[in-house]
Amino acid sequence: MIERLRGVGRHLLLGGIATVCAFPVYWLFATALRRPADVMSLSPIPWPLSLDSYADAAEKVDLAGLFVNTAAVALCSAAAQLLVALLASYAFAMYSFPFQRVLYLAFVGTWLVPFQVTMLPNYVLLNRFGLIDTLIGVVLPTLCSALAVLLLRQHMASFPAELVAAAKLDGRSSWSILWTVVVPNLRPALAALGILLFVNAWNEYFWPAVVLRRSNGVLQLGLRSFMGTEGEDWGPMMAVASLACLPVLLLYLVLQRQITNAFVRSGLK
Amino acid sequence: MFVVESPSAAPAVDQPPVRRRSREKIRTATRFAVPYLYLLPALVLLVVWTYHPLVQAVELSTYSWNLLPTSPMRPVGTANYERLVELPAFRDSLARTVLLIAGLLPFTVLLPLALAMTARRVGVRARTVYQALVFLPFLVAPVAAAAVWRWLLHPGGGAIDRMLGSGHNWVYDAATAHPVIIVITGWQLLGFATLVVSAGLAGIDPDYTEAAQVDGASPRQIRRWITMPLLSPTLLFLVLTTVLLTPTLTFPLIDSMTQGGPAQATTNVYYLLWDYAFHSFDAGLGAAAGVLLFTGFAAVAGSLVWLSERLAYHDD
Repeated sequence: MIERLRGVGRHLLLGGIATVCAFPVYWLFATALRRPADVMSLSPIPWPLSLDSYADAAEKVDLAGLFVNTAAVALCSAAAQLLVALLASYAFAMYSFPFQRVLYLAFVGTWLVPFQVTMLPNYVLLNRFGLIDTLIGVVLPTLCSALAVLLLRQHMASFPAELVAAAKLDGRSSWSILWTVVVPNLRPALAALGILLFVNAWNEYFWPAVVLRRSNGVLQLGLRSFMGTEGEDWGPMMAVASLACLPVLLLYLVLQRQITNAFVRSGLK
Repeated sequence: MFVVESPSAAPAVDQPPVRRRSREKIRTATRFAVPYLYLLPALVLLVVWTYHPLVQAVELSTYSWNLLPTSPMRPVGTANYERLVELPAFRDSLARTVLLIAGLLPFTVLLPLALAMTARRVGVRARTVYQALVFLPFLVAPVAAAAVWRWLLHPGGGAIDRMLGSGHNWVYDAATAHPVIIVITGWQLLGFATLVVSAGLAGIDPDYTEAAQVDGASPRQIRRWITMPLLSPTLLFLVLTTVLLTPTLTFPLIDSMTQGGPAQATTNVYYLLWDYAFHSFDAGLGAAAGVLLFTGFAAVAGSLVWLSERLAYHDD
């Protein structure tokens, strides 16, 4: 009897906190889907549904353009990070060479450099290249992810050495071993890491805000342009906010386990 | 003619071994270079976008410059640092950053610990649902989080404010603005931290608990003397993550909700740096603050890593 009460208590605690956590996310989408006249309504279910808020938002900003730009930035950044990290982690995992430890520490050490410290020199450098206010300027400084290198190295270190040795006996070059032996076997890890990098790049705010100072090149900044003034338009604002979260949340819905594993692993290993 | 040919004939006999030797040399050199070639793209990017800028930040911190390419950079020695130390705003922002991180720890250590411990004792399916819902905010873009919380807390119109019936302006009141930032950041981090603790708990070998039970240990004793010590690396890792993630998560919130106000109430050191560099256009002062921040950041992270290696019990 006491055990059953305890069980109910556990569900109440967990369920209560889960509801509190998820409520703002639900409210974001609920408000975005209300009719403009119902935006202030407290009814828990938005009914009748309407896309007027999206239409309103599209009148004020170029929603499709922002969406495409954000997707392009996130995809390019994630793909490049994956490629660069794949090559670097291959070197760390498969070879032993002078200065290996020092070079590895150079990757670990980037954790200690907050981006606020390097933003000024980076800004000056981009300015010299004439890349301020361009999407290339947003992507360029993000191309090397230390996290990706460390994670992939872990995966490759646990990769069966016999497979690589056998391919070497066949006379294959290290380049062909990488693409025909290592990459196909690491596909799940690469996919999880790719998603992680995509989510990070999609949600990035700080660096686009530095580089795209006067324009609204990406969704995160487009959303900011709805805020800041008094007497906000909550409907369109929530519509843009929902678009800024939608791809990531859809990914999560489809690949829940992989995503949580990728995030947790990124920390624990 | 014969005379001319003979010297060229002699090396002709000699040449193959020489060429072979040099080819071998080239081959060893290439083999030696291969790992570096794989590393090259990453290293170039690292140097160009992280380490060289770090050195440049140190350099910049000794100049007075307004970020305009056409205006001259005046060397001023340590004047920027002296100015910074004397600025009350800088000291206040440091104190606020400490407060921010301390305020986040309940969300990233204590509450996740309680949640993960409780979740272990409910069914798998229910646990998956709860964890998924708690994790959801971690994936929400920080600006979108700022937007929806602004709406929820909006005095008069927002759902939370109307439920509480307070009509209080949470974001524009200096007393509540900073707690609001802390709670929203904590809300984003809670699910991630809970998952990390759960993974840490799952990684503990059940043999220890069983052995202790056989020896007659109570559940509380097991928690205190077995689970917690084995979990300590995970918890220290969470403290480190909190320190490392705070700038990324709080900047968009502050930039889009409060701009550091009201009356500087939400200006932490990360926001102040941005303010110096891109609002006051004082590159030297911004760089000096950055260098100080880097030193402090490295010291905190370094000591946490040191602590986790010294104090943590590893289950190897």
